[in-house]
Amino acid sequence: MLEITDLVTEFDSVKALNGITFQAKPGLITTVIGANGAGKSTLLRTISGLERPTTGSIKWFDQELTHKSVEAIVRSGIAQVPEGHAVISQLSVAENIELGGLFRRRIARGDLAIATREVYELFPILYERRNEPAGSLSGGERQMLAISRALVSRPKLLLLDEPSLGLAPLISAQIINIVNQLCRSTGLTVLLVEQNANTALAVADHGILLSLGKVVADLPAKIMIADSSLRAAYLGY
Amino acid sequence: MNSFLTALFSGTAQGAIYALVSLGLVLVWRGAGIVNFAQMGQAMFTTYIASQLIQHNYSYWSAFVIALVSGAVLGALVDLGLMRPLTSRKNSQLLNSQSMRTTIPVIASLGILGVLKALAGILWAGEERGFPSPVAPNAIKIGSTNLAITGFDLFVIGVVFLTLVLTTIFFTKTGMGLAMRASALNPEVTRLSGIKVGSVRTLGWAISGTASSLAGLLVTPRTNLSPNTLDLLLIIGFTAAVVGGLSSLAGSVLGGFILGYVISFVNVYSAPENVFIAILAFLLLALFIRPQGILGSKEVRNV
Repeated sequence: MLEITDLVTEFDSVKALNGITFQAKPGLITTVIGANGAGKSTLLRTISGLERPTTGSIKWFDQELTHKSVEAIVRSGIAQVPEGHAVISQLSVAENIELGGLFRRRIARGDLAIATREVYELFPILYERRNEPAGSLSGGERQMLAISRALVSRPKLLLLDEPSLGLAPLISAQIINIVNQLCRSTGLTVLLVEQNANTALAVADHGILLSLGKVVADLPAKIMIADSSLRAAYLGY
Repeated sequence: MNSFLTALFSGTAQGAIYALVSLGLVLVWRGAGIVNFAQMGQAMFTTYIASQLIQHNYSYWSAFVIALVSGAVLGALVDLGLMRPLTSRKNSQLLNSQSMRTTIPVIASLGILGVLKALAGILWAGEERGFPSPVAPNAIKIGSTNLAITGFDLFVIGVVFLTLVLTTIFFTKTGMGLAMRASALNPEVTRLSGIKVGSVRTLGWAISGTASSLAGLLVTPRTNLSPNTLDLLLIIGFTAAVVGGLSSLAGSVLGGFILGYVISFVNVYSAPENVFIAILAFLLLALFIRPQGILGSKEVRNV
């Protein structure tokens, strides 16, 4: 279980996160939605250690993550897929995937080979293009690659930052579906940040609505998707 | 014909050394975004260490290896002891501006250069001394004809070639090499992959220190050793790095060899005093034709 308590993250004394508290249950998809500037990305970046919180705590089961380094957080089983299909364009597809498992190549070489095969089975197009530079991939393929890089680290918690950003609706639906299947079949816990509330809520179990750095609604996804007044007030549609 | 061959061979041998210096500069630049002006100071210092050892009856090869290891240690120390604390200071007014964040480490590297030169002066009286070479510096003979290449040239070319092959294997075939390339290209994604980018960067400083230490060992048999001998090498190496495209390892090596040929052909066909003008003209020309360097890539900014 991911437990976020009273989390505050500031940029030059502007509170991007202003006392966030919620929980994400294991094996389920929790989606964080909200308008631009609500603090969604900052929330994920704070969980993964890229931003330091001013106060508050982040716990993954018994582990306190709040002041750990980015690398230590990844090594404890929490992988982030950053915004903007973050792959390293100059490296090949295969190298990008290898990078994700590099830190455990000494302790789990055998499993690394299995994990790599699994992501290639999940995204066969990446296997076909494994020797090409990641920069030559389409937006959707880059997103698949970014997810694969995270998956070979065998995460227990996957943090996804706007995976559908800039993708055609069909492609983004495909990617969200694969994440959904992964969660259901492997028990992976997913924290999905999305601007596209409908797509996200359609697959999620639970929804967290952020506005100006605060949680304004914390509801089961089914209820949130039906609440048109909530959407009108905070998302504008 | 003979003077052409002389220029060609001596250009290759000199270029090999410039390639090492340039490679060292680019390794640190890519990893840390710092032009390390102390690099040849570090090389000068480790060459003095080797020279001391040889004077105390160590064999050339043990001194050679110890100098390379001290090059690595010195490089790592510069990063751990100075650069890392300097760039990681939080809440410093001065470091908040991007231009100061990139300028301060460069100034600091000049400081290190000064300290190393002063130390060499204190420890070894700053005397100019010779440095031995493991092979005779005579021209190689086939029958009674002198070839335009010396045994020492061959030695330099061989050692540098071996180094470049090992470096290439390291960067393209090993996990640590992949981690180093990834850290240089995109530190954030690399950290999110669980790699300790800070340690990888320190390793970059260490490899750079080793490469420049090797350059020091290979160039001083020709130039003699004093606290200031290697300054010129830094300028040429830096020019080579810029010509090759500061961010490309292969480009830095290529730039080194090209510069070696430029210098040696000017030396042979023109006059030694024109070498500096030639370097400057070549740099300007190269920057004019290809501002991003031979193998450098244009910076793409996503908006």
